[in-house]
Amino acid sequence: MQGMVSVKNLTKTFVSKEETVKALNNVTLTTPNNRILTLLGPSGCGKTTLLRCIAGLESPDSGEISIGDEIVWSKTHGISLPPERRGIGMVFQSYAIWPHMTVFGNVAYPLQIRKTPKQEIEERVKKILDLVQLSGFENRLATKLSGGQQQRVALARALVAEPKVILFDEPLSNLDAKLRESTRQELRSFLTELAISAIYVTHDQVEALTISDEIAIMRGGVIVERGTPQDIYLRSNNPFVVDFIGRANFLEATVKGYQDENHAIVSCALGDIVCSAPSDLAPGTGVTIYTRPESFEVAPSSSSPMENEFEGTVTDLLFAGEAHEAEISVGGARILAKLKFHIPLKKGDKVRLHIDREWCRALAPGEEA
Amino acid sequence: MLERKSALRFPLVGILILVVGALTVGPVVMLVVGSFSEGIGALGKFTIDKYVAAYTDPVLPKTLLNTVIFTIGCASFSTILGGLLAYLSVRTDIPFKGLFRVLPVVPMMIPHVLFAAAWITLLNPTNGMLNLFLRNIFKLSSGPFNIYSLGGMIFLEGMLDLPVTYLVISPAMYSFDTTLEEASWVSGASNLYTLRRITLPILRPAFLATFTLAIIRSLASFAVPSMVGLPGRIHVLTTHVYRIISIGWSPDYGRAAAIGLIVLVAAIILVYLYRYLIAESSQYVTVTGKGYRPTVVELGRARYPLFFLCILLFCFLVVIPLATLVYMSFLPYSMVPSARAISMMSLRNWHTVLANPITVRALKNSVFLAVVGASLAILLSLFVAYVIVKVRSRGSAFLESLSFLSFSFPGMIIGVGFMWFLVQTPLYATIWGLLVAYVGTYLPYGIRPLRSAFMQIDQELEESARVFGASFLQALKDIVVPLLAPGVISAWILTACMFIRELSVSAVLSRPGTEVLTVEIMKLANDGLWGQVAALGIIMIGLSTVLVLVANLLRVPLSHAE
Repeated sequence: MQGMVSVKNLTKTFVSKEETVKALNNVTLTTPNNRILTLLGPSGCGKTTLLRCIAGLESPDSGEISIGDEIVWSKTHGISLPPERRGIGMVFQSYAIWPHMTVFGNVAYPLQIRKTPKQEIEERVKKILDLVQLSGFENRLATKLSGGQQQRVALARALVAEPKVILFDEPLSNLDAKLRESTRQELRSFLTELAISAIYVTHDQVEALTISDEIAIMRGGVIVERGTPQDIYLRSNNPFVVDFIGRANFLEATVKGYQDENHAIVSCALGDIVCSAPSDLAPGTGVTIYTRPESFEVAPSSSSPMENEFEGTVTDLLFAGEAHEAEISVGGARILAKLKFHIPLKKGDKVRLHIDREWCRALAPGEEA
Repeated sequence: MLERKSALRFPLVGILILVVGALTVGPVVMLVVGSFSEGIGALGKFTIDKYVAAYTDPVLPKTLLNTVIFTIGCASFSTILGGLLAYLSVRTDIPFKGLFRVLPVVPMMIPHVLFAAAWITLLNPTNGMLNLFLRNIFKLSSGPFNIYSLGGMIFLEGMLDLPVTYLVISPAMYSFDTTLEEASWVSGASNLYTLRRITLPILRPAFLATFTLAIIRSLASFAVPSMVGLPGRIHVLTTHVYRIISIGWSPDYGRAAAIGLIVLVAAIILVYLYRYLIAESSQYVTVTGKGYRPTVVELGRARYPLFFLCILLFCFLVVIPLATLVYMSFLPYSMVPSARAISMMSLRNWHTVLANPITVRALKNSVFLAVVGASLAILLSLFVAYVIVKVRSRGSAFLESLSFLSFSFPGMIIGVGFMWFLVQTPLYATIWGLLVAYVGTYLPYGIRPLRSAFMQIDQELEESARVFGASFLQALKDIVVPLLAPGVISAWILTACMFIRELSVSAVLSRPGTEVLTVEIMKLANDGLWGQVAALGIIMIGLSTVLVLVANLLRVPLSHAE
């Protein structure tokens, strides 16, 4: 309850000279307590606007926002708490480290405002700087630190006053690729260790998958799907989500029948294959199935053919370090498969591939990407 | 190829250092030598009498005190107002933001002398029009305002510095990362606390830099102190120097130099302080990522009152002085608008001014100095800017600091230095002498905009033309020159406008035969011929306005070179 953020029917429209944009279109969302929820979506989907509305940095047009037990914004009740009274912490994309203050000054600031005794401020700042591994940097000017260190100052500042919930606005997007990866892991372990409620905004799907307990995917001001990273990546039924998260091969298919309640036999360019599917499709229905490139394997040559095996021709091959990315032509379709790098392959080779029925999913008809 | 070029460049850098050095350091050296010399005709005959006389002068302490009050007053007034205007135009939803873009161009059109003249005819204690008007309404025995006071001087000079302070603070406001404030709110701080702990401290170096620049400018200012301060007997250092060389039967250029040197030293120290503060403030510019749209502060109910305040300032700065000048130019003496005043309107002032051979000569001289002077100054600046940007050597770094240093030199003092120099040459009391002094004094104002114009042309643009087959000269003609042209035209127009309104150097060097408009206006004002001041002033404003309009027609952005 403590760090639960609940958003009801939130709407926000931006009006500029050129156009009117519905940044949030009747969004309703309740975040889990002491967990990390990520708002993920392409730029312009409304994720940052939603975060800023929760922080109080932006005013919605209508709806209601509560943090913990307290309503912080409500059109109908005429409530609008300013950001400083919402009891939150925030890490900004630019870090927003105050350039005229030292590391200590930056981190102590939220406590100074709360009139915490000096002795206690020093103890708590020291503790939190230990946690983010910045001990000894107290008296440095914060802007003289490296990007990763500044990022940790911003995190320490957001954590120090023990807010009900921490908001992250694309906090890793200014770091270089390598640093981003390690910081991601650090951040994940901090947050889970401290069992803190966090809302995390990003457009980077890998970041979202690795850091979150739950992901809400946004598009055009609407939350289109919500679930655990595994749910979202492996078991989504929304073509937009499938396409946005990772890479996918989409294939047209026709339902032939059911093997059991959750698995249908469909006919497609790969031949007749078994895939997981909604349980109520009539035979003859046209559906779209999708597969992830990394779920294909080269079939062992000796054994007899397994379920979901098919033969194709390598039409293009990229060596991407940890794997081959092969374009394979099969039954008039082209699919992308990510194959283990130690298997020798070259253009024009015939190759037998296999895919597990669980990693091959039929989308309910009618859902347009 | 490379070797051939550097061989070509070496003498160029050397020659430029000699020319720029002679024009900027030369007068300073002459000023120092002159201050230790027995007299203008006895250069080099060593004496310290001038220092003794200058620094034991009983009026000096009062003059210093006036100068301190005047400069600090002007700087505070213009920095606070300029900061407010910059904040309103950059960070808030104040209506008609386009109006703020006019502000920087204003001082190019209305010269300081005329601004002062207009306000004197409105606010002088005996027959200022506004004073007369208020006396009639409130049945007062005397006018409520006296422009001939330190307060009046601070008001006028502060208003005149306003466009500059606005221009210097605005970039700091633009680059201010608003998430710094948001981070403070989210941390639990109120608006006021955030303003006190975050916003103002981060902007502090920019404000201090602006304040310092305003001090430098008001320290060097001569128009307002001479037009208002001399009749009011409130002397500051520039007018003190001017009195030494212009009043009485024997102008003492040695004593003027001895006093002038402390002004010069103060200005140089201040300009280094300014440079340090600007560097400090740019350190606070944090690089933001893609950045969210910056939050615009909604003024709410205060929106229109604040807008009204801006309009009022704009009226004070432009509309009222201009209207006053036009009105006055048709009247024989100043009177409150009335049926009688209208019946007395005539073109007599205009006839008198245009029939007077001296004012006509001044007009011709000013136009000549503007056109020829600006062309020479820009030509020289082009070479200097090119060397500073494209030739990275110790010589070019030296050139840069030379041009930066002379940026701070007060015209009046440097004018005295040029006096010592020109007297030794046949150029003395000729229009060419004035020309040399103009170019030398205002060279930095030509170099700075051209330097940024050169910097904006990425080396790769030129290089890619070479790669695609253009020769060095062809690349210059096809790529560099077209890209540079707007910057050059803009700098030329700015310099020409500056030469038209030049007063402090001319006040020292102008002689019968080499009269210029501003000095003649000052003399007419001394004689109380306000109608003729107004008529001549409008002609002068007309000249600058034509130049600004030409710039507009050519779509050249006029970036003010402060």
